[in-house]
Amino acid sequence: MTAATRSDAALSSPRGPGARLASFVGHDLIRQLKLVESVFFIAVLPTALFLMFGALAEWGDAQVGNGNMVAHTMLSMALYGAVTATTAIAGSAAVERQLGWGRQLSLTALSGTAYMLGKAIVAVCVAVLPVALIYAVGAATGAELDGAWRWAASAGLTLLAAVPFAFYGLAAALLFRSEAAVGAASGMLVVFSFLGNLFMPLNGLLLDIGRFTPLYGPGVLARWPMMEGKVVATDGSVTTDPLWAAVLSVTVWTLVFLGICLLANRRRTSR
Amino acid sequence: MSSTQQTTQQTSAPETSAPDTAGSDLAVSAANVQKHFGKVRAVDGVDLTVPRGEVMALLGPNGAGKTTFLDMVLGFTRPSSGALEVFGGSPRRAVADGRVGAVLQTGALLEDLTVAQTLRYVAGCHRRHLPVTDVIERAQLGPLASRPVKKCSGGEKQRLRFGLALLTDPELLVLDEPTAGMDVGARAEFWDAMHAEADRGRTVVFATHYLQEAADFADRIVLMRQGRIHTSGTVHELTEGAPRTVSCRWAGSGSPAEVAARLGIALPDDGPAASGDRVAFSVIDGPEASDRLVAALLTEGLGHDVEVERATLDRVFLDLTA
Repeated sequence: MTAATRSDAALSSPRGPGARLASFVGHDLIRQLKLVESVFFIAVLPTALFLMFGALAEWGDAQVGNGNMVAHTMLSMALYGAVTATTAIAGSAAVERQLGWGRQLSLTALSGTAYMLGKAIVAVCVAVLPVALIYAVGAATGAELDGAWRWAASAGLTLLAAVPFAFYGLAAALLFRSEAAVGAASGMLVVFSFLGNLFMPLNGLLLDIGRFTPLYGPGVLARWPMMEGKVVATDGSVTTDPLWAAVLSVTVWTLVFLGICLLANRRRTSR
Repeated sequence: MSSTQQTTQQTSAPETSAPDTAGSDLAVSAANVQKHFGKVRAVDGVDLTVPRGEVMALLGPNGAGKTTFLDMVLGFTRPSSGALEVFGGSPRRAVADGRVGAVLQTGALLEDLTVAQTLRYVAGCHRRHLPVTDVIERAQLGPLASRPVKKCSGGEKQRLRFGLALLTDPELLVLDEPTAGMDVGARAEFWDAMHAEADRGRTVVFATHYLQEAADFADRIVLMRQGRIHTSGTVHELTEGAPRTVSCRWAGSGSPAEVAARLGIALPDDGPAASGDRVAFSVIDGPEASDRLVAALLTEGLGHDVEVERATLDRVFLDLTA
């Protein structure tokens, strides 16, 4: 019988689920890092913004909380970079799936869960990029935080607070199903960052409105080791946000993004 | 030799219990498979078996349910009801084991990767795969290996999809309109490569709009219509029941319609067609009737230069879609 035999000798040795996930993450991570335009928006642009608003600012040396103003800007810009990364990776993953790449991968032994998990790992890995770069540039340009643990804790909280924005990117992709929509969602992060008190200190009405926008809570959290909830306005007045408010804000916005994802997913039911 | 290999493979896949049972001789077996999307019955009761080693074409008009059926064979969707097995187990299992490869319709590629990167990316997601360099050679992708997918032509992308389908050295290849959008040259090249794969004993199931491809390449053609299998068989078998056209130069005194009526030959409503001095009878009730007509035409001197033509597959297909 000549029919249908696979020549076992020619095939590679079997690869387990863990090895497949690692291979997938490796290939996809390298691919994401080669996408020059996205790396520019995720890492280079926030770093440039940090240099303009933080490192080179004349008020940089002023002491605030447990550090100086340079560090304050550094933490904000790193968060901006990190959320851009998670938004973009999650959004493009959803678009890829819808455009048929998901079907291609469905023809492999990689499970749907492994795909989601892999993309989440890729997103966090890419989000590390702006955080590491901006912290390094910050350290070199005079950012001061009291104690090494505050650097580490801020970085950890930044990445943690950036994860829910994967749902934000996903929601944009599910609603509009195009790379352009994901790009627009990333662009909207500039507005959210401004209102979230990340780019320049707000005061008065804008600050009051800003407290209810999606990036405000993550900003308070990421800066918690340094500021412990204190917000310095342009006029020098200081207000304090309680930790519960920041956590509540992050939780509510996560649920909102998640809800939009579920609704959008239900809308396009059967394939 | 091959049976021992099969046995080893089955020990590594616990779901397929007894080696070489009747079930495992079938690449695909479908029993009353249905798929409904709301009120739409996209696949409405398909019974089909594909033995190992067969090359089968799935032919039918748009919306006949070909793609929906193949999606179930590939494990993308589950049947609403009925039983569908691939190599005696669930489609999803056969796919995860790398026993099924597929060339998907357009889309399905990442534009920013190169051809070789795409192959390595997907290879890494498989349990086992052939060396990527071998696949590049077999799908004739050598000159394209370092080209970004976005710079590949439609035919080149299709060759890459073909390469992706070969990665696990699958026993069953499923092709959903593999040559859609290819030019004539690319189509010929694609089928040449495909012939080589079929000669290796692979089972091939492909859906197509091109009748000639089905006629040239398939051992068996399955005609689908409105979610069901209409007929299946070789080109010869499919055209067997179709009308034969008997034509001649008319020399008789009476009218051709009268002659047909006298011989008890059923003709289409519009009767015999005349063009110039030739008359054509489209005989719809089988070879015996056309033989009777030919005999009468010749013995009674009613016609000269008699020709009998069997309907083409195109005609069968057109009747089906009408």
